Amino acid sequence: MEPFIAGTLNLFGDPQALMIFVLGLVGGMLFGAIPGVNMLTLGAVLLPFTISMQPEHAVMLFSVIYCAGVFGGAITAILFNIPGAPENAPTCFDGYPMTQRGESGKAIGAAVSCSAIGGVASAVLMMTATGAIAGWAVRAFGPQEIFALIFFGLAVSASIGASTLWKGWLSVFAGLLIATIGTDPVGGVPRFNEGSLLGYEYSSYYLSAGIHFIPMILGFFAVSEVIAQAMNIARGTRERPKAGLEFPSVAEFLAVRWTMLRSIVIGFFAGILPGIGATLAAFLGYSQAQRWSRNRARFGKGELEGVVASETANNAATGAAMIPLLALGLPGGALTAMIMGIFQIHGMEPGPLIFMTSGDLVWITFAAMFWANLFIVFLGWVQTKTVVHILRVPFRWLAPGILLLAIVGAYALRNLFIDVWVMFLAGIVGYVMRTTGYSAAGVVLGLILGKLGESAFSKSMQLMDYDMLGFFERPIAGVLIALGIGAIVVSIVNEIRGAPAPKALMD
Amino acid sequence: MSRSLPAQAGAPAYARYRAPVLEWALWMALVGAVYSQTGYFDTEIPEYAFGATGWPRALCLATAAGATGQLLTRLAALRRGEPAVASPANAPVPATPPTLWEQAKRLAIFLFPLLYLYAVPTLGFYLATPVFVLGLLLILDVRSPGALLGVTGVVCALVLLLFTRFFYVALPVGQPPFYDINNAIIVIARMGL
Repeated sequence: MEPFIAGTLNLFGDPQALMIFVLGLVGGMLFGAIPGVNMLTLGAVLLPFTISMQPEHAVMLFSVIYCAGVFGGAITAILFNIPGAPENAPTCFDGYPMTQRGESGKAIGAAVSCSAIGGVASAVLMMTATGAIAGWAVRAFGPQEIFALIFFGLAVSASIGASTLWKGWLSVFAGLLIATIGTDPVGGVPRFNEGSLLGYEYSSYYLSAGIHFIPMILGFFAVSEVIAQAMNIARGTRERPKAGLEFPSVAEFLAVRWTMLRSIVIGFFAGILPGIGATLAAFLGYSQAQRWSRNRARFGKGELEGVVASETANNAATGAAMIPLLALGLPGGALTAMIMGIFQIHGMEPGPLIFMTSGDLVWITFAAMFWANLFIVFLGWVQTKTVVHILRVPFRWLAPGILLLAIVGAYALRNLFIDVWVMFLAGIVGYVMRTTGYSAAGVVLGLILGKLGESAFSKSMQLMDYDMLGFFERPIAGVLIALGIGAIVVSIVNEIRGAPAPKALMD
Repeated sequence: MSRSLPAQAGAPAYARYRAPVLEWALWMALVGAVYSQTGYFDTEIPEYAFGATGWPRALCLATAAGATGQLLTRLAALRRGEPAVASPANAPVPATPPTLWEQAKRLAIFLFPLLYLYAVPTLGFYLATPVFVLGLLLILDVRSPGALLGVTGVVCALVLLLFTRFFYVALPVGQPPFYDINNAIIVIARMGL
């Protein structure tokens, strides 16, 4: 407790630290909430300026941006069906239908509160058990467990957002296949960068680097949403969403307390694992909430519990993602990799010794993340009361702005205009997928987890001497693989029997 | 669900099977194309028996299995007399068929952004964007001159302010003679810095 109080005093007692904290909080929320840019854009812009900052301020700034940005992405997911980041994708499933029903305020209110609850719980766990959890995770989670967790995550999340189980799986497979473009993770062999198709020979440096997931996400969600709304305008069938300012009631929060608790646990443990983090956490949180809910038929149609599950889980992963970074020097995602970069810029090395050598840095970061998550409630409430009014602006006026932000967001990533082409093509494909019942979220999930899954699988195979049954010799991996297979078998049997539950998502 | 039913009512029996079979054929063609390309990087990797092709080929087979599973499930459902799985209710069916003008507008929604992307490397972002915004607003049935000019002005000004003045994003400046005009716009946007 004492180090936390000292960290808090360092944070609020130093005007410079406080200013950086507020900048990170407001900046993260704003960048998360503007379609086309996100917390990574802000991080990339600010990274060069961290050279002149004190290291504890720089690390604290990025940690706060991380917490605020993960929440901020929920705003656009709920209002426009455009997730600010991959981890907000499941929030669209119920958040956007709530907006269409005139319950945007309630959805954003739930996202604000649950992001804060998930984030605070995660921050507390992070402060109390970083060393022990990091040690356990490293001992218990090898490549076999990471592959098993990805397999399990895909098995239970594959049908999310699709009209049938098969369409869900085909969407995920499409994403996994797209992820194979680029160099292979074992031998560095370039794949799909040259060849010949129907007599046409192609060769591309762009394909050697692989397809980045940011233009794909912008395409599948932002561009396809604009196309879908534009088509509705052209048909004369678009219904304007109503701006609602009503916050969820205490009774509604109490009704979803178990969903919150479950999502905190899922989010925290998924967040610890490098590379998996908040995205799989949000999908797992959502799919498990749907599985255990009494209102599972309402999921995908505007069920508050769906928003609660994904937003609690993704914010619960933020604190957890700092554990491997600080305790082991393993960044779990793009923003934590930037934090790793800050350590390197300042000639520091994160690892078990950092708690002794840079205690001030660690505790001001922990305190800032804790307080940032609490402040999200207040700032999020203000944001709810203001941002919702964007819905009063006609969509036909907003559409060019959303598209331009997406164009600049895709281009600025690598200064490659071909990324913008990829984004638009993904947008057209995404629109076709929507109208045929396939899941854009499934493709994105496959795309993000594909490389990591292949890497973990190849390492597992080498370690187990190519014996697939070797997964079952490790308890955690064995249980996860068995649960994943069980989930697949049960869902296939349900599909063959014609169980209507998954279809409800799109009807 | 009701969307596909009227079309099926008077259709011959085989027509009901056409859509699932075509969808399966599309997936198989896609899988076949991807699988055929794996031959171009079929090289061995030391100490990894599956090589660079193992994972993508396994995914191709899984995709083919998924597409076949989907086909069989849907054929079985059709045999039981259940209606074909309809498209999601994202697009309600209009009462009257679209006119030629409406069809042209729908086509423009897809083609106009692609035309813009094609033009940007030559015209530059700063010259092509106002035309793009204006064109898009017209496609979206905005007809008020005030709204057309106002929205175009505000959107372009915000993009200039945010990305050119503050974030220094190096957006494409096109080819001569448009190159100089784009650079002049950048200089104006950054005036006073």
